[in-house]
Amino acid sequence: MNSARIRRMLFSVFIGILAAAASAEGASPGGATAANTDFKAMLKAVDELSDFGKRDYSAVYDIVSEEPGEKPSTTQIKLFRRDEHDQIVILIRKPEAKKGQGYLKIDENVWFYDPESGNYSHSTMKENINDSQAKNSDFKKYTLASDFDVVKAEEGKLGVFETWVLTLKANNVEVSYQNIRMTVRRDKPIPLKEEDYSINGKPMRTVYYLPTYVQAGDKLVPAKLKMVDEVNKGKQSVLTLSDVYVGKLDDKYFQKTFLESAQ
Amino acid sequence: MELIKLALRNLSRQKRRTFLLGGAIAFGIMIVTIINGFVGAFIVNISENFANLAAGHVFVQGIEKSKSGKEYEIIHDDSALMAAQKEVADKLGIRPMYLSKRSTFAGTLIFAGKNAQLTIDGADFASETYLPERLAFRSGGMKGMSAKEGLIVSEPIARRLGAEVGDRILVQMKTYTGQQNVGEFAIAGITADPGILGSMAGYANKAYVNELLNLGPDDYQSLGIYLPALEGMDRYGNALYETLRAKVQVFTHDAAKKDENFVTAMMSQAKKETWSGTKYRVFTLNDMLSQVQQIVNVLNSASLVILLILFVIIMVGILNTFRIIMYERIREIGTMRSIGMQRGEVRSLFLYEATFLALGGVVVGIVLALVAMGVASLVNFGLNSPLFIILKNGHMTFRLEPIRTIADVVIVAALTLSAAAIPARNAARMDPAVALRTVK
Repeated sequence: MNSARIRRMLFSVFIGILAAAASAEGASPGGATAANTDFKAMLKAVDELSDFGKRDYSAVYDIVSEEPGEKPSTTQIKLFRRDEHDQIVILIRKPEAKKGQGYLKIDENVWFYDPESGNYSHSTMKENINDSQAKNSDFKKYTLASDFDVVKAEEGKLGVFETWVLTLKANNVEVSYQNIRMTVRRDKPIPLKEEDYSINGKPMRTVYYLPTYVQAGDKLVPAKLKMVDEVNKGKQSVLTLSDVYVGKLDDKYFQKTFLESAQ
Repeated sequence: MELIKLALRNLSRQKRRTFLLGGAIAFGIMIVTIINGFVGAFIVNISENFANLAAGHVFVQGIEKSKSGKEYEIIHDDSALMAAQKEVADKLGIRPMYLSKRSTFAGTLIFAGKNAQLTIDGADFASETYLPERLAFRSGGMKGMSAKEGLIVSEPIARRLGAEVGDRILVQMKTYTGQQNVGEFAIAGITADPGILGSMAGYANKAYVNELLNLGPDDYQSLGIYLPALEGMDRYGNALYETLRAKVQVFTHDAAKKDENFVTAMMSQAKKETWSGTKYRVFTLNDMLSQVQQIVNVLNSASLVILLILFVIIMVGILNTFRIIMYERIREIGTMRSIGMQRGEVRSLFLYEATFLALGGVVVGIVLALVAMGVASLVNFGLNSPLFIILKNGHMTFRLEPIRTIADVVIVAALTLSAAAIPARNAARMDPAVALRTVK
């Protein structure tokens, strides 16, 4: 048995244990069936989990990326979000070579700033951050309800949790993945797993929302995410959240001058 | 006539000196001629190689803008384009050799845990019949392209992946709107290493590329118009721009600021503007290669500077040599002046010598340059040479512009004559009596 398979097995066990620990009251399907469940409302509830509304949000993410035959690499970003105006700033703090690079999203425009050239260039929310599995769009508030239609809903089980497995299809071309299978707890609208598929239905990425959470205001934000590349076998990134702040951030963070002076 | 004979006799009397001075002039003119020949062919070869790679001399891209402001490269309905290009061809009498309707993506090739970046051009091999002839296959060939997922890659890419003909590889890429997608290709052929353009040399069937890009079967992204020669490119491009402008939405060529490339200006224009439907960009290979033209201008300036430096050195040599000649022939000049030779004739004698010296050097220099260029063009650097882009089928080529060559000859003649002018004037002014009694 190779080490990758052992790691995967241990990881599954790990998910189960953490899931059990996180769910003090235990899983309860609550008698809901696909027929009497409003899945669009469920997606809205999932979206609301990550929407800080009139308050701003900032946090630090450490992204450890692994690739077969290479040493793990660490990227650290600082995220600033103003959900009310759909503004995002992602500042790369590590590695040293990429320090000071950043993304700024204002309305529908996304800019990438490179301190070496001192120039901004147009970018998209579909870009990966520093060759990791994480995309810019992973750090914005969820917009599942508006971007996707529920094609299919099936009952399932992940670890100790009873789940809904929702097959979603994008209703616009602005999202990174056209097809998603989202595994959501049945007792609470908390996502546990997200399987991203290509436009022609091939698995591309699986995101595991490890069931440990950080309290951010009145929201629970996943403290750890694991993103597995399903095309390039063996490539994965683990995102760990810290330094969470919810409240009022200075306007300066959402302006180009901030990235220019951040380094 | 007598003076000319005398001048030629004087030159032949001092064979070594004439050989060295003429040789210096010949060497200088040879170097400058070779540089000029190289620079002349440089832009032509780059243009032709790029025309082959980009499948055209004149290009049209269709751009759509989404409600959220994103630009998508796509041509849905090309009836206006086809009508315009036909109109232009009829008007100018320039018949395009081929029309290439290409869809393209940049993706990551994945095979056995290894990755390589490649830009893959989706081509319609049934209509682009010239393309297979231009591909130098090392293994496999066009046969495998009959399969929908056939892919042609270059040697360095195949080597990097450790893949061979028949292997199936995954390609991670994005649709034309930027969504993630994965394709599976089978390597049909491996072509010779195209040097620095290795990452640009992937070809696949347009039908499958369109499927992966999420384009319709008849859609494409850019139209390449391959003309019979480079010469008519700008005229054709301008005429197509004007014709299309009257029919459809076209990015203006007027937006470019002074000294700004209008291809870049059109890109910036697209970011600022909003429109509905498809808006077209029309540009030529010359527009794309304007930076190469800047390199050519630099090389031209450098060759002129080299010419001037070489000939200033040679001029100093000629000046000193003619002073020595004047000193050596001082009694001879005195004798000639005593038997009736006029001052002007003495001056002319010296200037004739300088002129013949310059002409001889120029002729020999140009002949030597032609021989050197001929020999260099026989060397086959191969299609996998890193210099591929400036070569023609693996060979160096040279192209001399007559006006430039004539200008070089005039510069050399003028410099040589001006170098000889002072000693000639001094010789002419000499008093015959003083000259005759001068003891060397």
